[in-house]
Amino acid sequence: MAKIVILGAGISGHVAAAHLRRKLPKEHEVMVVSPNSNYQWIPSNIWVGIGRMKSDEILFPLEPLYKKKNIGYKQAKVITFHPEGDSSENKPYVMVEYVVGDKKGQHEKVTYDYLINGTGPKLNFEATEGLIPGKNKTYSVCTYTHADHAWEGLNTLIQEMKQGKKTKILIGTGHAKSTCQGAAFEYILNVEKELHKHKVRDMAEITWISNEYQLGDFGMDGMLLSYGSMTMKSHEMVEMIFEDRDIKWILGAGVYKIENGLAHYENLEGKFKTETYDFAMLIPSFSGHGFKAYDKSNNDITDKLFRGFMIVDADYTAKPYEEWSVQDWPETYQNPNYKNIFAPGIAFAPPHSISKPRKSKNGTDITPAPPRTGMPSGITARIVADNIIDSIKNGKESLHHKGSMGNMGAACIASAGYGLTTGSGVSITTFPIVPDYKKYPKTQGRKLGKTFGEIGLAGHWLKLTLHYAFIYKAKMKPFWWLIPE
Amino acid sequence: MTQRISKYQKFKMMNPIIQFFKYIFLSIKIMVIVAGGHGGTRNVN
Repeated sequence: MAKIVILGAGISGHVAAAHLRRKLPKEHEVMVVSPNSNYQWIPSNIWVGIGRMKSDEILFPLEPLYKKKNIGYKQAKVITFHPEGDSSENKPYVMVEYVVGDKKGQHEKVTYDYLINGTGPKLNFEATEGLIPGKNKTYSVCTYTHADHAWEGLNTLIQEMKQGKKTKILIGTGHAKSTCQGAAFEYILNVEKELHKHKVRDMAEITWISNEYQLGDFGMDGMLLSYGSMTMKSHEMVEMIFEDRDIKWILGAGVYKIENGLAHYENLEGKFKTETYDFAMLIPSFSGHGFKAYDKSNNDITDKLFRGFMIVDADYTAKPYEEWSVQDWPETYQNPNYKNIFAPGIAFAPPHSISKPRKSKNGTDITPAPPRTGMPSGITARIVADNIIDSIKNGKESLHHKGSMGNMGAACIASAGYGLTTGSGVSITTFPIVPDYKKYPKTQGRKLGKTFGEIGLAGHWLKLTLHYAFIYKAKMKPFWWLIPE
Repeated sequence: MTQRISKYQKFKMMNPIIQFFKYIFLSIKIMVIVAGGHGGTRNVN
């Protein structure tokens, strides 16, 4: 009998737990440890942030589902990793701390045969002084509670605009090394559309602020894509959309300090500037959770497991941008030092960024971190689950399932406005996610045709379809496994 | 404000009938790209 412990119940943790439980016989134990009581479909947070969805439409409680599906569940957070056990415990374990109920604050050793770290990122708001969701007129849509607050703030602003107040709205990234530009891109387009709906668009100046070198970089070095019968660069497409919607933009901006209605940033020219605003939604930087790891003798071995995020089968050798290759990126998400530990989704340490790194004239690194959206998170979690299943069934390590972001497609269906007949979406697919400049040297590292963009109402319907389909899948309703990640 | 997307293009983008067929086409195309397979890279190149 094997025991698989999964840390985190976000997209990657939940997908891994669901596939393990479906494919493994009942004598094997699947256990999820998460401090969160709810599963949330994060891509729909932007609709919560404009008041078009209630947060309870994008989440459901985990415990009843896990009980029904025979998946163990502890509402607790991991504190330390002990991959060799300790003097009193021979099996590897993680030390967890309960976060609710009678056991709140109590620690417990949770042993495992296989460990999946699906803890995702820490939303590192502290890295930007004054960037606190709900304070200093700044908001976030990274969680459903943040998105609820964002809608409260936006709604108040809309009411003020109806009273005749001219306002400034600032949306984008809140740190020089933030990622998730896609979420901010969706939010700015949705906000712009909502202002039209409320007939106050002419009362607001909307500005995009980002650490990207060019529009449409999205932390993926931009892309050359098919658009209708044309081939265009992603920055041209986003520029077209922004100009058409009268959205201004500030690029190469590393926001380092927020005050009430003031965003201070440094740009790539090394100049320090300030942008004023009445409402801002700024994505923070992501970081690892700062976990510690110890060996059997209680010596600190954190650097064997973590470099911020968890170390996996990537090539972490430091090298210049010109020498980066898709082969640097992990394929199995297995920790090289402890082969029974895996880190899919956002929990793994990327070998480097995808976008070309850039420094300001003062030496500040202003480069988008690599994005890992729901789709690659789900796919990598399934790969990890399948390898563990094979290893258990074969009685020996099996790593036949592989999925590098350098050989994986992803779709980004970015909402550009809500409404069944008036909505819009920007549908972008990219293959591969990490550009392979050797394989596709003439098309900026990506395969044209499989990398394309579309704008229109169909994109909104697609995004809405994905919302319902993935919540259906996450609830593990009949034939859920037929829906791909 | 600069009108970068023509009225005719906007009509096509928002016409429910055109967009219904686009929706079917995009759903299939995205499914093929995303669910069409993935793998390693180290033995490919």
